[in-house]
Amino acid sequence: MSEPEKKPDKLDESKVESQSLEERLRRLEEILSRLEDDDVPLEEALQLFEEGVGHVRDAERVLAQTELKVQELLENGDVQDMELD
Amino acid sequence: MPGLFSGLDEEPFMDPIDPTPDRIWSVSEVNSTIRKLIEGSADTLWIRGEVGNWKRYPSGHCYFSVKDDRSELRCVMFARDASTLPTDPDDGMEIRIFGKLTLYEKKGAYQMSVRLLESEGAEGLWRIAFEKLRSQLEVEGLLDLARKQPLPKHPAVVGIVTSTTGAALRDIISVLSRRAPWVRVLVRGTRVQGEGAASEISQAIRGLVATGKPEVIIVGRGGGSIEDLWAFNEEPVARAISESTIPVVSAVGHEIDVTISDLVADLRAPTPSAAAEEVVPDGTGIRENLSAVPGELAKGLQGMLQRRRSVIEHTLSHLGLGIDRKMQPVHQGLDNDFARLQAGLRSVLDLRRQRLIGVEGKLDALSPLATLRRGYSVARTGEDQILRSVHDFVEGDSFVLRVSDGEVIAETKGLQPGE
Repeated sequence: MSEPEKKPDKLDESKVESQSLEERLRRLEEILSRLEDDDVPLEEALQLFEEGVGHVRDAERVLAQTELKVQELLENGDVQDMELD
Repeated sequence: MPGLFSGLDEEPFMDPIDPTPDRIWSVSEVNSTIRKLIEGSADTLWIRGEVGNWKRYPSGHCYFSVKDDRSELRCVMFARDASTLPTDPDDGMEIRIFGKLTLYEKKGAYQMSVRLLESEGAEGLWRIAFEKLRSQLEVEGLLDLARKQPLPKHPAVVGIVTSTTGAALRDIISVLSRRAPWVRVLVRGTRVQGEGAASEISQAIRGLVATGKPEVIIVGRGGGSIEDLWAFNEEPVARAISESTIPVVSAVGHEIDVTISDLVADLRAPTPSAAAEEVVPDGTGIRENLSAVPGELAKGLQGMLQRRRSVIEHTLSHLGLGIDRKMQPVHQGLDNDFARLQAGLRSVLDLRRQRLIGVEGKLDALSPLATLRRGYSVARTGEDQILRSVHDFVEGDSFVLRVSDGEVIAETKGLQPGE
């Protein structure tokens, strides 16, 4: 406990918003398997739990989107929304 | 060839030579006339023969001959038509050509102007071209399974290279909307058949890769003839797919159509719809899995606490036993020490007592009490002043006489000073 604690979870917080579904779901797997480790400190376990619940909430928000966004990449590199009939 | 050049069979009929010409022709006039004659009298036709002396010029025009066991016919296929060939035929190959007979006036050579060229054998030119490119790519290792990039499980952006007006795009979009409406789709429209389609498709793939946005790319089109699908058997497309740093799923035509694109792609999907199924997970499944996660997290935390508790209990009981074991000799030692200490103390005290008794004896000998016991006494005033001389006494005053076992209150009756 006296050694300097590494806090990757804290650093990650800033980019939580920009995390993709892929990253979130992978992180959740990591968290779940880390929680099964024998040597996970109590403090970390609590942090992981909290982080995991956050990821679930954010992932569910992403999944709640119902309209597919379709864009077209033009030859000049521009991107424009695409209407499909 | 009924009707074609009838009367010009084996031995051409020749009039006897007339030495007096009434008209002299120029060579050009003759060749031009013959050309018109040939072109005017022969329809388009199919000819079967064996290819020889095939030569493709940088201009794209191809020159060759077809022959059977007796004759040979010069042929030309101009760039516009030759560019539709999937590959050049090898010399000696049995082919079928379709075109028109004409005359190359400059050389006075008659020839076949070829519009179509097909392989006669079971192995068509398409098949040959396909095999040529396939084996070349194989030699380069581009078909190795080890090169296949895994598809992302949950892509946020899906790239699509296909015709923006085709059914393939509609099919893909419809599957993506149903399964994973949260993804973003980036479409790069191209022509998918005809002259230049292959280079457009390859540029489109490179363009999508260059944005760095898609995490997986679907390249494909709906069903069609082998010619329609041909762009996906061409080298530029194969190169663009194999060089893509983003996984590519190839989806060309129907289940039975296997193209070079399919072989170099990281995954071959039988149809565009199937490709869409492959690239995104089903949202329903994810939502179900996700809803179980908080419970699993809680279980994980509880399990961790439970394990921690049993570890602590185990450690404590071990620790208790350990302490007992460690303390036992200490206890024994302490008992020993205590006994020795007691004994030591006792002997020290005894010694002290002995010495005290000795000292008491000496003190007794020196004490004034001893003198008093021999019969002497000491007189003092009420204020504790020792009365040593007759002059210290005052007649009629009382004084205190200390004797060996107490005190006597006395009174001075008279003073008799000594000599």
